[in-house]
Amino acid sequence: MITVVSGVPRSGTSLMMQMVAAGGMEILTDGLRGADERNPRGYFEWEPAKHLLQEPGRIAEAEGRAVKVISSLLMSLPRDRSYQVLFMHRPLAEVVASQAEMIRRRGTQGAALTPAALEAALEGHVRQVMAWLERQPHMRVCHVHYHRLLQEPQAETDSILAFLDEPLNRAAMLAQIDPSLRRQRHESTAK
Amino acid sequence: MGQPLAKKVLLIGFDGADWKLINPLMDQGLMPALERLVNEGVMGNVATLQPVLSPLLWNSIATGKRADKHGILNFVEPDPHSGGLRPITSTSRKVKAVWNILTQRGFRTHVVGWFAGHPAEPINGVCISPLYAHTPTSPDQPRPLPPGTIHPAELAETLAELRISPAEITSEELLPFVPLAAKVDQEKDRRLAVLAKLIADNCSVHNAATWILQNQQWDFLAVFYDGIDHFSHAFMQFHPPRMEGVPEDLFELYKDVVTGAYRFHDMLLETLVTLAGPEATVILVSDHGFHSDHLRPRGMPREPAGPAIWHRPHGILCLKGPHLQRDERIYGATLLDITPTILTLFGLPVGEDMDGKVLLQAFEEPPQIGRIPNWEQEAGECGMHPAEMRMDPEAARAVIEQFVALGYMEPPTEDQSKAQSMARREEKYNLARVHLDARRFREALPLLKELLEENPDEARFAQHLAECHKQLGQVGEAKAVLAQLLERGQTEPRSDLLMGLIKFEEGDTEGALEHLLRAEEANPRLPGLHLRIGDAYLRMRRWEDAERAFERAVDIDGDSPYAHLGLAVVRLRQRRSREAAEQALVAVGLQHFLPLGHYCLGVALARLRRLDRAVLAFETALTMAPGLLNAHRWIATIEGMPGGNAEKAAEHRRRAQELARQRRKAARL
Repeated sequence: MITVVSGVPRSGTSLMMQMVAAGGMEILTDGLRGADERNPRGYFEWEPAKHLLQEPGRIAEAEGRAVKVISSLLMSLPRDRSYQVLFMHRPLAEVVASQAEMIRRRGTQGAALTPAALEAALEGHVRQVMAWLERQPHMRVCHVHYHRLLQEPQAETDSILAFLDEPLNRAAMLAQIDPSLRRQRHESTAK
Repeated sequence: MGQPLAKKVLLIGFDGADWKLINPLMDQGLMPALERLVNEGVMGNVATLQPVLSPLLWNSIATGKRADKHGILNFVEPDPHSGGLRPITSTSRKVKAVWNILTQRGFRTHVVGWFAGHPAEPINGVCISPLYAHTPTSPDQPRPLPPGTIHPAELAETLAELRISPAEITSEELLPFVPLAAKVDQEKDRRLAVLAKLIADNCSVHNAATWILQNQQWDFLAVFYDGIDHFSHAFMQFHPPRMEGVPEDLFELYKDVVTGAYRFHDMLLETLVTLAGPEATVILVSDHGFHSDHLRPRGMPREPAGPAIWHRPHGILCLKGPHLQRDERIYGATLLDITPTILTLFGLPVGEDMDGKVLLQAFEEPPQIGRIPNWEQEAGECGMHPAEMRMDPEAARAVIEQFVALGYMEPPTEDQSKAQSMARREEKYNLARVHLDARRFREALPLLKELLEENPDEARFAQHLAECHKQLGQVGEAKAVLAQLLERGQTEPRSDLLMGLIKFEEGDTEGALEHLLRAEEANPRLPGLHLRIGDAYLRMRRWEDAERAFERAVDIDGDSPYAHLGLAVVRLRQRRSREAAEQALVAVGLQHFLPLGHYCLGVALARLRRLDRAVLAFETALTMAPGLLNAHRWIATIEGMPGGNAEKAAEHRRRAQELARQRRKAARL
């Protein structure tokens, strides 16, 4: 069994990786992308996950561990293995704002869309991934809502623990939840 | 719900099938199943749509809508998953196909192998995607069915077993196609392997279709065979008579393949019709024809859809069943008419947003035709993929771009990016051509401008843009675009043809002729060229030159109604009325909706003193083009003669005067 932490970028996947790592689950990461202002505790990424399209077989290295795989690459995961997927949800307006900031810092060029159009595109993408996940017999999915995790950490963590197939340290996981990490907050949700 | 006129409908698609090949084979008794269908039902040409590309066309057949509405605009689409390309999918179709409408109304509905049919749709029946038949050529390779190939998934195992692998095709089974197969050096020549794959793929489709007919309750089955088109693309160059440049030995080896392919499909048809039973309504259609004679192209345009140059603009259509005519010919059918006709057969209303019409001529009695604004807003489970699975490919691309910029995904390779960008360009071009075909020039114009701006070296974009400007009356702009082409040294004959047309419409007949003759020098087989040259000579009253031009057009394509119409006009000018009538009859036989053809026939018959028939011809012309002033005048003159219908004469005289008055007013304005 492979534990996959997924979602669109900037939806809280790094926080979830921190939580399962703190809880005692072995995680697969290479630490190539180090901690920064956006993610002071690090990103918990594994470079070969970006290449799953070309080399899906590399996922074998994650057997018995947790790994971060971005939503758009879930479809690359070989069907001959079983996965438990923690899929992160966060209001997409916040995600778009956070992504814009990250792209600015990286000095790269994102999609040439207005924030509203990008939000709509991401919404379509998430809907598509959800519909696809529902039809995958080799994947179990637990939907984790970022805000609920911040606002009701205990209840949400209990749901995660009930879903995962190994006992983790609840207190250590809860200790990772620091509401101050949430920097980008969309106006509408701030009210 | 109207009166159902069919209990069951079997829709069979034979990609690329053409009467030009079928008719001689039926005459020799080599296609008995199709001959029976023709004798017991109605048959005719079916006009294709532009651009003549199968994914667009088969989805127009299945929806009754042009490609701008149904959304299938190319063979491939950007794959948001891989960053590369993938075959166009059923999730890209934006509207309901006929099987969705029938599912919504509770009919037991099955689909096998339809173009752009992957992943299989969750309809009320069995749906099998085109990936089902595409098996690996090597027997050693595993043959798993890709996910989404079969709906319902529990039938996947049963149906997977029915597939035929190319390795199972024996040499005896290849002999009807290649009698001298033993002489083929298979180390150097892979054509027998190609042949085996084509036979195997189409047998797989056939096995699935016949399994459904034998094991499932059914009201509607649509089954699509790509065989004839693929056989033709691979082997039509070897079909007799031998084409220039085809080596004698290869010709001898492969000259029977295309005939074999048609006979093979006739056997498939025989089984389908027998299993469907006598009560079933059978519709056989092809999306386009395929050049098989002297019109076979000698070269291929260097553009992505280049092989489509082999496609002829008329496909085949046959309908047989209760309440349909027997042994009759129908005229004026287009691919867009199939779905409205099927809905009427089931007693269901036709969507007013559909671009096609019901083929009334096919019915014994005029059917009751129901109408609704559209089927898209009709609530109910229709077996389309859920909205979540359908995503605008552009939005999907933007998401990937964003993830790459964030560093979470590898960027597509240069090759993938280039392929995606080419696919998007072709999609835009195809959309522009769909608008042009529908005479929506204002919609086509901005697309063609963008295409040319982004690809200034692509003459095809410039030529279509010039044509678009011309159709919008923007002659100056059209000339400027063509002039730029000429400045770049892109002196393609099609540009000269277009410039000739523009000058002709400006009244500069001499200038037009100069361009047209230059185009003729560069490519004497350019479609439509000799018709335009003939028109120019007609205007110059050079009857013999016009005659030669139209005869040349007939030589190139004897099935061109306009070539025969041109000859009819020449004969009228030469006062050779009998020959004029003969040519006009050929023209309207080839294309019934040809008002000038009926008009010329009327004039010729009137001069031959066959007045009743002349009036009939003029009246037919007027039903198609009520503004034909001279047709009214002729009827007024004939009916005004002693023994004529004075009342009718007066009515047509009045209409002629009214039309003349309107024209004078328009001219003054």
